[in-house]
Amino acid sequence: MTNTTTTTDTSYVPPDIAHAVPTRAGTASVSWTLAKREYTRFMRQPSRVAGSIGQPLLFWIVLGAGLSPSFRPAGMEGMTYTEYFYPGVLMMMVLFAGVFSSITVIEDRDQGFLQGVLVAPVSRMAIVLGKVGGAAAIALSQAVIMLLVAPFLGFPMPVENYPIILLTLALVSLGYTGLGFMVAWRMSSTSGFHAVMMLVLMPLWFLSGALFPTEGLPIVMKVIIWLNPVAHGMTLIRAPFYQDAATFLIDPGYLTSLAVVLVWVGAVLTISAKRVAKRDIGAKV
Amino acid sequence: MIRIKGLTHAYPGRRGKPGRIAIQSFSLSVAEGTFTILAGPNGSGKSTLFRILCGLCLPSAGTIHIGGHDLFAEPAAVRGLMGVVFQSPAVDKHLSVAENLDIHARLYGLTGATLTDRREEALAWSGLKDRLKDKVGTLSGGLARQVELAKCLITHPRVLLLDEPTTGLDPAARRAFLDALSRIQRDRGMTVLMTSHVFSEAEDADRVAIMREGLLLAHDTPNRLRDQLGRDMLVVSAVDAETLAPRIAQVLGVPTSRHGEEVRVESIPDGGPVPAIDAILSNFRDEVTSVAVKRPTLEDVFIHVTEQASDPRAGEAAE
Repeated sequence: MTNTTTTTDTSYVPPDIAHAVPTRAGTASVSWTLAKREYTRFMRQPSRVAGSIGQPLLFWIVLGAGLSPSFRPAGMEGMTYTEYFYPGVLMMMVLFAGVFSSITVIEDRDQGFLQGVLVAPVSRMAIVLGKVGGAAAIALSQAVIMLLVAPFLGFPMPVENYPIILLTLALVSLGYTGLGFMVAWRMSSTSGFHAVMMLVLMPLWFLSGALFPTEGLPIVMKVIIWLNPVAHGMTLIRAPFYQDAATFLIDPGYLTSLAVVLVWVGAVLTISAKRVAKRDIGAKV
Repeated sequence: MIRIKGLTHAYPGRRGKPGRIAIQSFSLSVAEGTFTILAGPNGSGKSTLFRILCGLCLPSAGTIHIGGHDLFAEPAAVRGLMGVVFQSPAVDKHLSVAENLDIHARLYGLTGATLTDRREEALAWSGLKDRLKDKVGTLSGGLARQVELAKCLITHPRVLLLDEPTTGLDPAARRAFLDALSRIQRDRGMTVLMTSHVFSEAEDADRVAIMREGLLLAHDTPNRLRDQLGRDMLVVSAVDAETLAPRIAQVLGVPTSRHGEEVRVESIPDGGPVPAIDAILSNFRDEVTSVAVKRPTLEDVFIHVTEQASDPRAGEAAE
């Protein structure tokens, strides 16, 4: 037994194997399947449902009640803070749905469900869209509940503005969850993600005009806010609450923000898909 | 069906230190329709090899062809041929058995009547028929594993890779899982490569590959591997096996090895076991608690092969 290494080279490849590749599922159908899973899973965890609706609601009621007496920004006389903060709370729901969804990526990728998806013959973009689309669906269903109370808050909105608000929320949600996904993908622990969330994802929301008006801020802050895509998302969400579609859809400020948000969504989705497609490479020897 | 050539993988080192080599010029061919067990101790490079085979990681050097496709150049083509059962569950425990099967099938483009047929087929062999509507999280460990297997088989893969799939299962559940797997493997002529460190699992395999420290040490049928150790061996139990081993070797004139409280005589001297036992008893009767003749198991082969590789005097066996 001087040589125990035996390498038999008998592998034979029948010619028909090339045709045995199953039909590849389309990106749209795979994304839909994965998003549906995301949504179903969310609805089956009552604590998650309660938390993600309860927290923004609590924020809104508590901050609204506490800050309303001192809320007197120039040019917004007659508006209560509760009213001002309302679109910001919608944004917050989008944020939370995105953050929770991104966290699940970390566990799912190495130890769970996503392992099986990664080895399936599906486009990498479909994996991203499934996750991000699922989070958007979750955010939207929460927003619908929240929007039901809008008429009672003194927002005299025309009916056609509601679908615009929902579409906007969906778009911002893709951008926000896409960003979370992009960051979370290479992370190995959820605790690391919490740090990123507190340092990046939350400040993006704080500095978006969701919590306080951005008029009258120091110039440095204004620049930061202008560069913040979430602030542009906020502009898009806020517009339908105060204006007719005919007015804001031709407003250059609104259209600029729309362009920024579209670029943001496109960029984070593309980068995310690239990151998913990237495989670890062994070191040179 | 699976052809691995000159595979080497190193993990990048930290801060200028050299990387750790996990796999070293590893070559292995798995013929179509065979059931191959890849065995090796923890840290032998099995898991790294598995990740590379799944297409989740690219090696430092080497090539892998699966079903005629280059895994690294055309991962999408290979993914369509392949099913993968991971060590940690890849099913969603918040979803029902049916939902999990359904999602997986749809990822592979199965819909409508084909999907229904495939689901029926999966239910026919597994114990999941009455549990379709139950969430996977409520199933026993054995049934949850069956969902995992059923999910992968629903797409009719040509190649199935499994990474220590029976970890954490009780012996009965392990048996049930392996029986189902090997029956389907034979029926479909599927190529199966499964990593394992439970050697009783390897006894029924067509081929066993043994790896250690990133090297392929042996690859053969279980019977031929056992024959490498000779037909039988003597196992002498003793309290102080360490000092006894060299003395037995001297008396019998053949090498011995020690494993815990056992001294093993792997090549029984001419004349058969009886004179050897006689010699051991007449010399060391007071020190010996028992003497037995044992047919080598794959575990013995494994210990033998991996020890030989780690012994510098037998270094050529590894190269």
